[in-house]
Amino acid sequence: MKKNGSGLSLRPLKLPPREVTTLGNGLTVTVVKRGPLPLVAVRYITKAGSVFDPKDRFGLAELCARLLRRGAGGQSAEALNESVDYVGASLAAWAGEDSFGVGLTTPGAHFEPMFEVLARIAQQPDFPEAEVALTQRRTLAQLSNGLDDPDDVADRALVTAMFGDHPYGHETIGTRAHVEAMKREDVVAYHRERVVPHGAQLFVVGDAEPAKVLKTVERLFGGWKGHTEAQVSLPEWSKPARAGEVVIIDKPEQTQVQVRIGARGVYRGHPDHFPLTAMNCVLGGSFTSRLMQEIRVKRGLTYGAGSHFDQMATAGGFIVSTFTKTETVTELLDVALAEVAKMKAKGPKAPELESAKRYISGLYPARLETNESIAAAMADMALFGLPDDWVDQYRERIAAVTPQLAAEAAAKHLPDRDRTIVLVGNAAQLAPQVERYGRVSVIPVAAIE
Amino acid sequence: MIPRELKPIADSVIESKLPNGLKVRLVPSSAVPTISYYTFFNVGSRNERPGITGISHLFEHMMFNGAKKYGPGAFDRTLESNGGSSNAYTSNDMTVYYEDFMSEALEKVIDLESDRMRSLAVTPKMLKSEREVVIEERRLRVDNEIAGMLDEELGTLVWKAHPYRWPVIGWMRDIEAITREDCLDYFRTYYAPNNATLYIAGDFDPKEAMKLIKKYYGGIKPGPKAPPEVLDAEPEQRGERRAEVQHPAQAPTLMIAWRGPAARDADTLVLDVLQYALSVGQSSRLIKSLVYEKEACVSLSVDWSWRKDPGAFVAAMELKPGADPKQAEAALYAELEAVMSSGITERELQKAKNNLAAQLLRELGTNNGRAHALGHYESLLGSWRDGLALASRYEQVTAAHVKEVATRYLKPSRRSVVTLVPTAEVEAAA
Repeated sequence: MKKNGSGLSLRPLKLPPREVTTLGNGLTVTVVKRGPLPLVAVRYITKAGSVFDPKDRFGLAELCARLLRRGAGGQSAEALNESVDYVGASLAAWAGEDSFGVGLTTPGAHFEPMFEVLARIAQQPDFPEAEVALTQRRTLAQLSNGLDDPDDVADRALVTAMFGDHPYGHETIGTRAHVEAMKREDVVAYHRERVVPHGAQLFVVGDAEPAKVLKTVERLFGGWKGHTEAQVSLPEWSKPARAGEVVIIDKPEQTQVQVRIGARGVYRGHPDHFPLTAMNCVLGGSFTSRLMQEIRVKRGLTYGAGSHFDQMATAGGFIVSTFTKTETVTELLDVALAEVAKMKAKGPKAPELESAKRYISGLYPARLETNESIAAAMADMALFGLPDDWVDQYRERIAAVTPQLAAEAAAKHLPDRDRTIVLVGNAAQLAPQVERYGRVSVIPVAAIE
Repeated sequence: MIPRELKPIADSVIESKLPNGLKVRLVPSSAVPTISYYTFFNVGSRNERPGITGISHLFEHMMFNGAKKYGPGAFDRTLESNGGSSNAYTSNDMTVYYEDFMSEALEKVIDLESDRMRSLAVTPKMLKSEREVVIEERRLRVDNEIAGMLDEELGTLVWKAHPYRWPVIGWMRDIEAITREDCLDYFRTYYAPNNATLYIAGDFDPKEAMKLIKKYYGGIKPGPKAPPEVLDAEPEQRGERRAEVQHPAQAPTLMIAWRGPAARDADTLVLDVLQYALSVGQSSRLIKSLVYEKEACVSLSVDWSWRKDPGAFVAAMELKPGADPKQAEAALYAELEAVMSSGITERELQKAKNNLAAQLLRELGTNNGRAHALGHYESLLGSWRDGLALASRYEQVTAAHVKEVATRYLKPSRRSVVTLVPTAEVEAAA
């Protein structure tokens, strides 16, 4: 045990020992042997994702991910699903903004055959025409039905209000018109160009012998070929597309308003990460945070209120997220904006910051409890180019944040006028109340599909 | 019988009971330097009565608003500044509080939890403010959320007399009307140590922990009398029950419930197997057939939540915009009739068992998961050992059992159906 600067005793926390090797095709493989439960997690991750969706094909990466399990290497979706489900494994593919991944969790006794299934769907998806069409129909229905969920609608609208035409300006699921227009060739091309071994990472964590795992990896992945063209550099993004404005998504039946305040934040791995994390914990990152206390505990205006930095590879947002009844929306906005402004002007008080640091550090080890979470932490480090000691030194770096550093980070990164406000609720009742926060535009809910 | 891979967990559990009736279960393990600390109170919305529906949940909120030693706001402030976080939930059958924190904070957490069990303060000011928070939570989860709306309607169809009839969060007017006296009475009756069980999992020395628990909880007096038994006066159902909810929406939704048994009934485990065979995994019967092949719905889930008193086996289907809910309903019944007439295959049976076993293993992978799962099993099955032995009990279930149980429970005369009928236009003033 040792004591760090804040008088907090911290037992050392380290990622478990790992074996790392790179195959001839450029795929980096990391293996961690870990018990005690007889389970294994596998994660393939590559730098792809929705930022590479073509301008008229928003949702392509996601459609590709949804289709991997729907037929591969000559096996039907039915056969693949049956083999995975039978042993109690779970297998999923997903697209993020900056990444494309495939993950598996399986009982250790079935590791080899399940690993083969993962390799097959990642490398040889067949994209049968009928499955492409079915998945499109399902995605379109999901886009429509999502309009009934005010929380989902608010998040969707915020992405557009924040990033506009930037490649981060659409959600991974895409938009109705684009999803409708997609063809099988689009998905095939996306997979060929983006889902490749070169520059990608494979993690195997759990109850399996590393030497044996590496042999299997060589057998299953050694012959995979593919190379991504030079990474596209994303355009600069300096502030929300709707900075200084209020966007209302009209859902007249709502008695409660979903509220988002969005502004420029930081990219993942930004040098100010630790001061910002500690500062945001004081502002809106825990139950005792200022936003929660002022909005919920003191005033009873909401059930939930918080802020976070949404960090992607090259940019990120600062987002306040909360809700209240229609009648109290301006009271809530005033309190929230005042808290952000106060934090920007003065930073956190020393005792608040100390508490936040202990809160973050105390709970950090619980993020590394399962095979999946260890694989995910290592994948993030690789994907975002974080230093090798990111996990091992996380709590020490949090401990090193001083009130001055936190105040500087708040002053530099929290918004003033360049913020956008998104409200989801009854526009007729809301619009007259919120004009003083900026130019108001009202959008029918159907328009954001 | 507890399977070999779970033996180490079973062997690690240390059980005891304080003279005041508080049950304690310690589950030490040194994988990560954190602890999860659960307190299960044997009270939920089934212990309520009309007029104070929602008091269990409102009271759960009040437990964070100050006691004798740690006043208003001090609970979370103290916990967070000691490297921990807390939360809680209320169900029909129980109220559950938990903290996750770094190991060094164990004594502080014991102090915090025992303080509020001993001497909770319910001040008029805090009650007023917390009531508003809960009302906003109800607006979020029920009044402005389709699934919440339907679930609430379904409860009133399935149960006519049992307290499962009302939603855990309570009726809006009841939430507004609950008094401070109601809360104090509730605390005296249900928050006594003899109505609670602690589950502590993680990196700590069990001897030291037990000493601290005795020190802090030992002086709390047991409740004056045992909480009143809940009477299950539910009459027999004599035919299908139906209701419609009209609300602006993109697409229809169906929620269909069949009255089931209580958690401790042997049929419960057979229904677990049936639930998995029907709806867990893309290859499960209903997902494969209704979602992917027939496209009768966009998503489908089957919920079979164990309850102390006879519960409900619930299927929910989210349709496409413009779809006909009658067709979707008929397609679902056709699939279920196939199970009732021909049963499920041996492979489907084994697949369901494999998934139930894997699920159990996964939930035991974290301190929080272990403390919660074991406490949940003790609350509903009567013992955590029965929970760890579930996999071998599932192994006893045969395809014939599944067919027989499906036939007995999934009859039309046991079912209640709620349909969300989308309305296009909305009255301007809500």
